[in-house]
Amino acid sequence: MAIVNMKKMHLLGLKREKATILRALQKTGVVEVINIVEEAAVEDIEQAGEVQKNYVNQELNRELQELETKLAELNFGIDFLKPYVKSTNPLIHGKPSIKKDELSEILSKESSILDNLQAVFDLDKQLSQLKTEETRLIGQIEMLSPWRALDIPLEELGETRKTVFEAAVMPRKSRAELDRIITEEGLLAEIATLGESQDDVYTLVVYHKEHKENMEKLFKEFSVNLQDFSNFEGTPKELIKAAEKRIEDIEVERGTIKEKSKELSDNLRYFQILYDYYTVEKDRKSAFLKVTDTDKAFSMQAWLPEEHEELVKSTVSKVTDTVYMEFSAPTDEDDMPVLLSNAKLVEPFEVITELYSLPDPRGLDPNLYMAPFFFVFFGMMLSDAGYGIIMSLLAGYALFRFKLAGSGKKFTAMLFLCGISTVIWGAIFGGWFGDLIRVKPMWINPLDNPLSVLILSFVMGVVQIYVGIILNAYKNIRAGKVADALMDQGLWLVLLTGLLMFVMPELATVGKYMAIFGAVGLILTQGRSQKGIIKKFTSGVLSLYDITGYLSDVLSYSRLLALGLTTGVIATVINTMAKTVAGSIIGYIVMVLIIVGGHVFNLAINVLGAYVHSSRLQYIEFFSKFYDSGGRAFDPLRVKTSYVDLEDI
Amino acid sequence: MSLTLGQVLALFGAALAVGLPGIGSARGVGIVGESAAGLVTEDPGKFGQALILQALPGTQGIYGFLAGFLTIQKIGLLAGTLVNITPYQGWLIFASCMPIAIVGFLSAIYQGRVAAAGIGIVSKRPEEVAKGITFAAMVETYAVLALLATILMLFGINV
Repeated sequence: MAIVNMKKMHLLGLKREKATILRALQKTGVVEVINIVEEAAVEDIEQAGEVQKNYVNQELNRELQELETKLAELNFGIDFLKPYVKSTNPLIHGKPSIKKDELSEILSKESSILDNLQAVFDLDKQLSQLKTEETRLIGQIEMLSPWRALDIPLEELGETRKTVFEAAVMPRKSRAELDRIITEEGLLAEIATLGESQDDVYTLVVYHKEHKENMEKLFKEFSVNLQDFSNFEGTPKELIKAAEKRIEDIEVERGTIKEKSKELSDNLRYFQILYDYYTVEKDRKSAFLKVTDTDKAFSMQAWLPEEHEELVKSTVSKVTDTVYMEFSAPTDEDDMPVLLSNAKLVEPFEVITELYSLPDPRGLDPNLYMAPFFFVFFGMMLSDAGYGIIMSLLAGYALFRFKLAGSGKKFTAMLFLCGISTVIWGAIFGGWFGDLIRVKPMWINPLDNPLSVLILSFVMGVVQIYVGIILNAYKNIRAGKVADALMDQGLWLVLLTGLLMFVMPELATVGKYMAIFGAVGLILTQGRSQKGIIKKFTSGVLSLYDITGYLSDVLSYSRLLALGLTTGVIATVINTMAKTVAGSIIGYIVMVLIIVGGHVFNLAINVLGAYVHSSRLQYIEFFSKFYDSGGRAFDPLRVKTSYVDLEDI
Repeated sequence: MSLTLGQVLALFGAALAVGLPGIGSARGVGIVGESAAGLVTEDPGKFGQALILQALPGTQGIYGFLAGFLTIQKIGLLAGTLVNITPYQGWLIFASCMPIAIVGFLSAIYQGRVAAAGIGIVSKRPEEVAKGITFAAMVETYAVLALLATILMLFGINV
């Protein structure tokens, strides 16, 4: 199966039935509308009809913008009301499904629901006003509290007939100095302390008008700040009390708003349903923009998976008779989207390829060939049966309990499968939470004999690289280039096999000749696209340089051993540390804590490592041999909702 | 208990194998953490992806710890009785600690810089985070190889 074959649909229909037809297609969820407007617009930009089309598009764009605004408002309402509703987790219970009559009932009372949305906005506005007021009051209290001891109403400060009253803040040092100067010079002035802070003194200064100039000079000299209370009435104490009272009131008002919000919280469900309904409508309207119109008819093109051709035909003919449909296979110029379809066991590994890049629509789906290697490598790098069991149990629980979909589901399933692989490798290497549970390894403990495991790692690397080369040859053969397959991939296989046999004593002679044959063949063939005998020869010789690439690729697989050792040794360290504290009761408690915490940490860090490095081996070592990436994901027009399942719209 | 020069050298090697990659990883993780914190201020939802990138340069510290642990196990420190080691063997053990000590230290910092750049991918195109992770993993290859060299050398020495 691999990459699903796509078909291109051409559809001609009546303009007045455009909405109906697109609605029906949206319900099937298997059709991706192709944008044919842009191309057309460039061609006949000069034509008179352009004005008309632009007008239609403007109309559509305006409608879309209105929908966007509505969706943003509904989204705001949903976010506002969410804290007031104890909702069920959609991850566990799935989305509630909405029947058709329920939806039409909700749509019929839409205006009252939107009134409630307006009420939500009002409540939000009130809340932010209260917040502003509260901040202002808190600032005011902060400003006034040093003046608490001042028992004169603030509006009475200032000048009387003969005297001046000023509230002044001065540095502690200046206070004594001022007093001294006032008595020395015999000024008619008095300073009364009202409050103190760390560095400053808050005072009331009273002086005779005659000495105003002297006093102002002194104020400047001793950096005394005069406080301006021009907007206040009453004593500071009264003002603070009033502000505190108001803050209490604000809290009460908040409570009322909360109550009102709670009353409105029934609307959350309606908001969510409307949100989903309009999202679906927006998606459909966006598709309108990709369709070309004439006076009475419209024409559209779309991609759909081959297998759904009949379904689409019958769906459309059910809603209308006046329609013309044609299905054709993609031509060479077409840029069709990519949809993958794999066996159940391979499907979870698609996520690895998707995170890299989807295959070219005319290329090869690598998942079937990549999945077994990823499965094996992941297990070998984590290589602890205990960790594998935990991982599979957690992933299995998540799959069973949560309603996962898309990439999340694939990823969890991938972890579940890789957990099984980890158990197998753990048993082979004898790792059960490190050496916590001592089980004899089925084959070998990599700590005792790392060289054997290293050789096994290299063998796996060689196998994967061979598969990569063979897949590339297959790709060439499929494209009818058998000669290329023989010369480019076949000769390399001969050379590499020869070199491998050369390393083994009993096969050395055969290997030598095979390698020489392969190398000579490569020198003779690799320059065939060049012109001139010298260029042909030099390119051929230079191509042998690729051998270093293959060597480094194989060596890269040594990480299979290295990461496996890491898991095992750190687990052992944790166990050793735990054992040293055992003895007393507290010791045993600490021991359990170390074991649990340590193994959780080790598991987390090594699952990440195993995932990253298994992926890397696929991306760099395997995919580089044959994989053509660059596909675009199939994104059909469908009923895509966030909160509820709309059964029928 | 009197220590021989060989034992001191071996222990010194183990100390460097744990210490240098540890410093490197701390710096690498720190570099990514700074970028990640900036990203999370803008979009707290990307914490998970940023954390994965931040964890990547942390592995060198673990590799170094692993090498150091294997070394002190080799000289019998864990069992409580130090094996008698000649100065010659001590130098061998010291030398075998060097690959991970040096490569671990430097590669962690370089990997941290790549991963920090990967934070940019998370901020603009979070769906492409796997590519950022792969770029960072390219750097780690050399730390893995150094660890492997250290382990193979260590296992090859007879004491």
